[in-house]
Amino acid sequence: MSAPVNIRDLAPGTRIALADGAEAEIVDNPADGVWVFARYLSAPRDPALVGQEDMIFAQDVVAIRPID
Amino acid sequence: MASSGTKGYHPGLVDLATGEISREIFVNEDIYAEEQERVFARAWLHVGHESQIPKPGDYFVSSMGEESVILCRDRAGAVHVFLNSCRHRGMKVCRYDEGNTPVFTCPYHGWSYGTDGRLVGVPYFREAYHSRLDKEKWGLVEVAQLCNYKGSIWATWDAAAPPFAEYLGDFTRYLDLQLDGWDGREAQAEILGGVQKWLVPCNWKFPAENFSGDTYHNISHRSVDLAGIGPSGAGRRDMGERDVSRKLHVCIPDRGHQTIHYVLPSGELPPPAYANAPIVAEYFRHCEEEKRRRRGDWGRLVGAPGEIFPNTALLSRQPRTMAVWHPRGPHQTECWRWFFVDRDAPAEVKGFLRDYYIRYSGPAGMTEQDDMENWNYAHAASRGVIARRHPYNYDQGSGTAVTDYEFQGLRVPGEVIDITEVQSSEQPARNFYRRWAEFMAAGDWSDLATWRRNDKRAVAE
Repeated sequence: MSAPVNIRDLAPGTRIALADGAEAEIVDNPADGVWVFARYLSAPRDPALVGQEDMIFAQDVVAIRPID
Repeated sequence: MASSGTKGYHPGLVDLATGEISREIFVNEDIYAEEQERVFARAWLHVGHESQIPKPGDYFVSSMGEESVILCRDRAGAVHVFLNSCRHRGMKVCRYDEGNTPVFTCPYHGWSYGTDGRLVGVPYFREAYHSRLDKEKWGLVEVAQLCNYKGSIWATWDAAAPPFAEYLGDFTRYLDLQLDGWDGREAQAEILGGVQKWLVPCNWKFPAENFSGDTYHNISHRSVDLAGIGPSGAGRRDMGERDVSRKLHVCIPDRGHQTIHYVLPSGELPPPAYANAPIVAEYFRHCEEEKRRRRGDWGRLVGAPGEIFPNTALLSRQPRTMAVWHPRGPHQTECWRWFFVDRDAPAEVKGFLRDYYIRYSGPAGMTEQDDMENWNYAHAASRGVIARRHPYNYDQGSGTAVTDYEFQGLRVPGEVIDITEVQSSEQPARNFYRRWAEFMAAGDWSDLATWRRNDKRAVAE
């Protein structure tokens, strides 16, 4: 099991991998350690989410992706 | 008169016919619990000042009665006051005094709210709630009514309470002295520095009564007068107006608001003040002339301590401050004090006033320390079973108030006692407790808005 991601430190522009296999890019971070605002880049379980902004829960963030 | 066997509020504890008030209303825990519902859940309460939240996302955590509330400005610029308690399990959603945020996030389970109060984040909304939770229904609890009066933010939990301007009644002009510019322009005040907060081991009504207009306790401040902390290096204040004005106790009987103030003679400006600070003296001299030009005869009013029912104190002259007496149990009060200046005043004036305000007010202020000593020990000495058998005396000046007071063409509304010669009366305290007893006995605002009944009667006649 990988170490939990400390989302407080994630700057806008950071790409994150989510527990359901989706990927998103952070657009704002209130730094409360619970939520980040992010835009979906991919969403295998619900493709309609791609391009949408949503609040992402800390426990759903499983990894930080390198920027291409 | 009640004894220590009193379980809760009942008529007779406040007996204005005899001028006696039971100590029970200050120390009895059942009465305190009733106050939270009957007074603080129904009255308009001061929450803060808009200059504390100038930008979208700014917030200031305040109190209404015992309960924590968030004063904030949403992304669209609208001002809100919310109960600081998550709708899921009640945790505080904001544990800072002030700041800026896009969301208020509960640290317990993670429910998150926008600055407009809407529930925007629910962990596992799709998975655990199956997207069925009605987020519109579970936003933060918002006050029933909010009023931005010249920058000061007031709120009430009671949707049936009258609008704030009606709640103030004829007391409005005394709050205006606090919030308008010294030169008479409207809504020119801003908060200077932060809010001072401290605890005093006394019931909240001790400071509320004191600031209603207790001139009788001046002897308590004798040492401060002797030390000479005033802005001109003597006494507590520049009080030249005392020698030329009429000094009044003014009470608005159906509202429960009351104050001391001075009325200058017609055509006369206040005597010079700020003797050792020429820039400050010139600023206020100029402002006084402008105020008289803008306000006419009403520019003759000079403010002094007063109280807006139930727990907001005014002091528009020296030092220019407002305070709220937050109840923290029957035996403890959390005092919050805001300091005001004209926003356009020169930096030298603001700096001078800051130094003076700190000398006078707050937990380190010499005058306020005197007051705290009195409230602290008076409360402690009133808690015992023997002490509770013996009421306080509020008879001073009973029966001497008039309702048609006029001084050189200026008619002053309300019940007025001219204390220029008699020095003191307890009419402000009687007015405060009369209203307090009405709140404690009333079923709802149809009982409390007594002036509406009187207005209807006048129309009928």
